[in-house]
Amino acid sequence: MSHVDDGTLHAYLDGELTPVERARLEAHVAECAACENRLDEERALIERASGLLGLAQPPERAAPPLHELRRPSVVWRLRVPVAWAATVLLALGLGYYAGDRTSMSVAPEQVAMYSADSSAAQEARPNDRLGLRATPPPLGYSSPRAQAPAPTRPLAWTERKEGERQPTALESAAVVTGRDSILFGTAAASGVISIRTRDTGAANAVPAPAPAAPPPTARAALPQRALEEVDVRTRNATLQREEARRTLVATEWPIIRRGPARQILGAEPMGVPGLAVRNIRRSPSGEIVMVEQAIDSVTVIQLFQQRVESDNYRGRSFAADSLRSATAPTERLARFIGGVRVEIAGPLSADSLNRLLEQVKPIGP
Amino acid sequence: MPEDLAEIYRSTYRSLVRFLYRKVWDAERAEDLAQEAFARALVHKPENARGWLFVVAANMARDEARKAARERRHLTLLKSEPDAVHSEPEDRIDADAKRARVRTALDQLTPRDREALLLWDAGMSYDEIAIQTGLARGAIGTTLARARRRLVEAYDSGSEGQHVARG
Repeated sequence: MSHVDDGTLHAYLDGELTPVERARLEAHVAECAACENRLDEERALIERASGLLGLAQPPERAAPPLHELRRPSVVWRLRVPVAWAATVLLALGLGYYAGDRTSMSVAPEQVAMYSADSSAAQEARPNDRLGLRATPPPLGYSSPRAQAPAPTRPLAWTERKEGERQPTALESAAVVTGRDSILFGTAAASGVISIRTRDTGAANAVPAPAPAAPPPTARAALPQRALEEVDVRTRNATLQREEARRTLVATEWPIIRRGPARQILGAEPMGVPGLAVRNIRRSPSGEIVMVEQAIDSVTVIQLFQQRVESDNYRGRSFAADSLRSATAPTERLARFIGGVRVEIAGPLSADSLNRLLEQVKPIGP
Repeated sequence: MPEDLAEIYRSTYRSLVRFLYRKVWDAERAEDLAQEAFARALVHKPENARGWLFVVAANMARDEARKAARERRHLTLLKSEPDAVHSEPEDRIDADAKRARVRTALDQLTPRDREALLLWDAGMSYDEIAIQTGLARGAIGTTLARARRRLVEAYDSGSEGQHVARG
């Protein structure tokens, strides 16, 4: 056997030779002093190299339990499926509804999110069933969520101007779809999103933006088409319902001062002590007062309040009622304080809402 | 599969952290990346989880290194004042200096030699290293021999240079 090469010596010392190779090497080294010396040298080299690597060790810290490892970020896990789901659903919904505009019935869970204003088409449409206003909200109005500094969905009508075309509704809707998909994961993924366009009956597939795509990209990709309505249907639509309810209430219910609120209720308006009051609003019919309070920059709770002796109080959830079936009535937590029934709503668990409701009392001036 | 992964987690987590540490040179970041790799494995359930983990970890470390290089460039541009004087214990300084020297020495290896050496040190077999690096199995011994020799030489020459510089 010729002399052993370095690679084989290292493989031998690393225990990576087959038994046959090992036996052959050992037989050679037993007879070859040069190779025996080299074997010693390489052994020392391996130890030295290993020792050097040992100088570059991270500190030993216990590993967290496997089941406690943070999951890969939601965005990482959902980015591809969500982008696909949003695209396919949007395209399917468009094709389906664009071909048959009149067949749409309002399912209980259906949520109307956006309405383009504009002219005769608006008036001809039975928009009452969706609880949508016939006229645009005041210029520059934005909902509490939109005022919040944290990134939230853009509202289609925040920048609306009288008589202007409304491409923003579609743009924002598409953006909302992307955002919701990220924020709410499976809820949005399991939903059906449909968009109806006003001008033709032809199917128009609109590519949904990738979740990470900024609004300008979506804007560029979307056709400038006036939009009649965007409907979001989803089996697990609680969050969207909550959002839609807040949006509708926010746009239809005028902001009032404490004085008129006191007149409506015959008592001081109620609130959770210690929380900032964002707004006090009244229902279009003028019988319900709603106090919006901020828990943090993006979380707003709403307290719907009505005099119990009011003729219009029929012992049911007026918060849900106020939406005129635009949203599915959800069970709401309510309690009576003096002569006022107070309902609480907000993007919190029932338990949290209940605890907040327990603290509600008249808020002084 | 989850049971397998739990076992691999027990046996490989520290090795993976060590492997990553010698790439990103930040212990916490190395742990974060190792945990992220395992978290991804929980989702993906790869067949050869151990090999998969090292591939994913190496990719993450590469991304990390690119990001760090970009940040360093920015810092170099921004940095105008000398570092604050540290008052750390002597042995700590010594350990840090040695670690820095090892890092410099490792940087002088070819990427393939370095990868083979770090994978071996992380407990991978020649077969696994061959799969990871794309080298022939028969070439691993030679690659490791070269990598080890170069590491030791680079370390020694680095420390000599330092002594000369100090003196």
